[in-house]
Amino acid sequence: MNTRALDRELKRGSAELLILSLLDARPRHGYELSKLIHARSGGQLTFHIDSLYPLLYRLEERGWIKGAWVEKAGERRRRFYKVTAAGRQVLAQQRKTWAAFVEAVRRVTGSDHA
Amino acid sequence: MPDWRSEVRPRLSSLPLSPARENEIVDELSQHLDDHWRELVAAGTPPDEATRLTLAQFRSGNMLARYLAPLRQAQSRPPATPAAPTGHALADLRQDLRYAARVFSKQPGFAAAAVLTLALGIGATTAIFSVVYGVLLKPLPFQDPERLVSLMHRATAPGISLGLVNHGPDTYLTYRDHQAMFEGIGAWETDDVTITGRSEPEYVEALNVTSATLPLLRVQPALGRFFGSEDDAPGGPLRVVLGYGYWQRRFGGAAGVIGQSLQIDGRLAEVIGVLPSSFRFLRTNPAVLLPMPLQLVNGIMFDFQALGRLKPGVSVADANADVARMIPLLHPSFQRLQLEPNVRPLAADVIGEVGELLWILFASVGVVLLIACANVANLFLVRAEGRQQELAMRAALGASRGRIARVLLSESMVLALAGGAGGVALAYAAIGLLRVMAPAQLPRVEEIGLDPIVLLFTLAITLVAGAVFGVVPVLRFAQLNPAALKDGGRSTGDAPGRHRTRNALVVAEIALALVLMVVSGLMIRTFVGMRQVEPGFTHPEQVQTFRLAIPDGVIADPLQMARAHESIVRRLERVPGVVSVGLASSITMDGEDNTNPISVEEFPVPQGTLPPLRRFKSFAPGFFETMGNRLVAGRSITWNEIYERRPVMVVSETLAREYWQEPPRALGKRVRAGARQPWREIVGVTGDERDDGLNKPATAIVYWPLLNEGYQRRTFAYAVRSSRVGTPGFLGELQQAVWSVNANLPLAGVRTLDEIRADSMAQTSFAMVMLGIAAGVALLLGVVGIYAVIAYIASQRTREIGLRIALGAQLRDVRAMFLRHGLWLTSAGLAIGIGIALVLTRVMSAMLFGVGPMDPLTFAGVAAVLGAVALVATYLPARRAARVDPIAALRADA
Repeated sequence: MNTRALDRELKRGSAELLILSLLDARPRHGYELSKLIHARSGGQLTFHIDSLYPLLYRLEERGWIKGAWVEKAGERRRRFYKVTAAGRQVLAQQRKTWAAFVEAVRRVTGSDHA
Repeated sequence: MPDWRSEVRPRLSSLPLSPARENEIVDELSQHLDDHWRELVAAGTPPDEATRLTLAQFRSGNMLARYLAPLRQAQSRPPATPAAPTGHALADLRQDLRYAARVFSKQPGFAAAAVLTLALGIGATTAIFSVVYGVLLKPLPFQDPERLVSLMHRATAPGISLGLVNHGPDTYLTYRDHQAMFEGIGAWETDDVTITGRSEPEYVEALNVTSATLPLLRVQPALGRFFGSEDDAPGGPLRVVLGYGYWQRRFGGAAGVIGQSLQIDGRLAEVIGVLPSSFRFLRTNPAVLLPMPLQLVNGIMFDFQALGRLKPGVSVADANADVARMIPLLHPSFQRLQLEPNVRPLAADVIGEVGELLWILFASVGVVLLIACANVANLFLVRAEGRQQELAMRAALGASRGRIARVLLSESMVLALAGGAGGVALAYAAIGLLRVMAPAQLPRVEEIGLDPIVLLFTLAITLVAGAVFGVVPVLRFAQLNPAALKDGGRSTGDAPGRHRTRNALVVAEIALALVLMVVSGLMIRTFVGMRQVEPGFTHPEQVQTFRLAIPDGVIADPLQMARAHESIVRRLERVPGVVSVGLASSITMDGEDNTNPISVEEFPVPQGTLPPLRRFKSFAPGFFETMGNRLVAGRSITWNEIYERRPVMVVSETLAREYWQEPPRALGKRVRAGARQPWREIVGVTGDERDDGLNKPATAIVYWPLLNEGYQRRTFAYAVRSSRVGTPGFLGELQQAVWSVNANLPLAGVRTLDEIRADSMAQTSFAMVMLGIAAGVALLLGVVGIYAVIAYIASQRTREIGLRIALGAQLRDVRAMFLRHGLWLTSAGLAIGIGIALVLTRVMSAMLFGVGPMDPLTFAGVAAVLGAVALVATYLPARRAARVDPIAALRADA
């Protein structure tokens, strides 16, 4: 997927679903998130630093995730994000919508590829 | 490893992030870049290539800033100054106020001047509002007081207006029996009665009421019961209800008082009840309540009051219509009069004429408050100007206009609240003073105080005042020019329009001060005018007066009563130091008003028209001499003429001139009190009495001998002239002299003639003092205002003055420059003030005496005084400015 398409997705909100899903498992920091998205999409999705962090801050302002600085001995401090209760509700809702959307796309396009 | 921070930070510079937040973002993104770079290097990428790849994460066009810009944290940057907002409105407000308080604690002089000025304005306004509220606005202390009304009439006879008239049996009984809009109607009147048989005889205030009156007021007895309908019928046994104070004073609050008897005016009366302690009825303060039996007497009489309680939902207009419907039901004799109903709120009865005075006073202190606000606004302008640099700095650091306005406004609010607190303290003291000073005409004085309503009002005017003087510098300085930063906030000259706001404020102050000074000047002229009036007596401080009643129950026979009076006069004359003694039914200006029809033999009144109404008095020898009134023509009367009921009489000069132009021509002419009375011959004409007050025209009076058919009195006012008046023991000797004749006669209404005169002037002197204080404060504040402005402008122009002097300007040129400025401000203020005063003083016409509301002398005098004082206030700073040492001025500014 090219970056322009991803930018559109950012605006539309499916990128939010990605972030929330990844954070649902456990708290992660920004670099880890970008690597996970890159790896799990098989290199198809890449978040640039200049779009990833604004997205994180936006989710944080909405109260869906919460960031906290964590310091470990011998390392620089890192900011870890976790999903809030409100974020979990949004995630559940978005997953349902997404599933419905995917199902709908499959039904429309399915016959052509069957 | 590259310095990632220096790569990230510039990309955020366009965003108004808070410094702390910016650091966080820089940290987080640097960490991210670092992680990426290390991974690449660890995978064998050469460091330079790794750096290039890492930074490639930032795309062109600073996408980072573009994506961050819509976020809340990037919306506004608070000023990097003290009082930065926390994002919560209330916390911000508290912070602003705390900051303002801290600022003022470092400028105690400025803060003290502003707070004191405000406290003065707010305190005066609060004090007068407490009077306005307590006297005029506070509901009467009865249940549903808005439904209580007073029933009056406006009466006109052909050619003359009789003004407001009350009730006689005919009107009252007709209305009571035929009305449709009232829950009920009750009658009342005040009276004085003598109570004997309990230690010393007492002469006390009584309130006569019909049985309906107290229930209409929703008053419950503290003890016993009130009157029943059987008490409304004439001829029944006399019953009495005691006032709470009298019950406490005379019976020690004993419950056993019910059923006991009192001797009232010689009649036995059974005590049936006691009023509650909370009972306050209009201006009365009765010791006892008596029933008021009414018998239908057809004919025109107006001698008692009636009150009613409207049925729920009935308006005063409905009630007036109801009375208008009943007027044709009155006895045919009323057709000679034109009666119009005048039902009005009961509260109107208690207020009387004093309402107008109070509103004028209230408006006056409001003006003082305005002037105080203008002064403080001026101080704020000066201060804000000195802070231009600070304000510009705030703006440059990101403070919005609204934010700067809030800083300025919260400062003004802190000052206003401090001023308000000071004002309440001042008002508290002033109210104590007001209660002492209050004229006798001011009712409900005991209800004046700092009620919650009054304090609420104070809070409101405090906040409004804070907003008013706070908003002036806001309008002026919330928009800031960066130039203020560049030149260090120092200005060198008189930028055009720069002082416009301040000049306007000073002009307004002078105009307002002039208005108040004119108002107070007119009041002073009125006071002086009243002092110059010949009141109908001389040296009032040497005349002791008191009232003495000889009720039927004590001496029934009128001739015996007259002889008792002569004995008392003779006995009083023997008290050491007494020069003369006289008595009459009323003393000049003591408030007694008995006005009745007369017939003058030479000037018969056509059938069907009303005879002229004139003031009646009855008197005994020695009265005019004791008062110090002169005899204009003829002679007085003798005791023998009284006893022999000779048909003689005396009239006042005004009455004599009214009919016969020259007073001596009145002698020998005949007058009688109504058609059935015998004619009496005028044997003397006396000087005029200002019986209705010094500010009213002389009253036309007919004086009947003590014993006469038309005007029989049982209560007389004594006048005793002596240089011993006011000395200890003198009154006791007078009392003993009276009691040596008859031990059952109490002295009442003991006052010197001077006190009576002072009472009649009390309202005017009260108005004069209050308006004088208001005008004095206004003058002071106005002068301080103009002084401050000239001094400030002079200090701002020090460098210019130095230059001028260095270039050869004369000291007097510099002085003249400032004097011209001051003169211009003063003249503008005076002109505007005169314009306003010409319009406003008309309102107070009714309060004036011997001077018109547009009196040129007062206007010119006030303008001259104010102008002169303002010029002095201009001259002082101008002189100082001209003394500037040019070298020092230029060097200090270099």
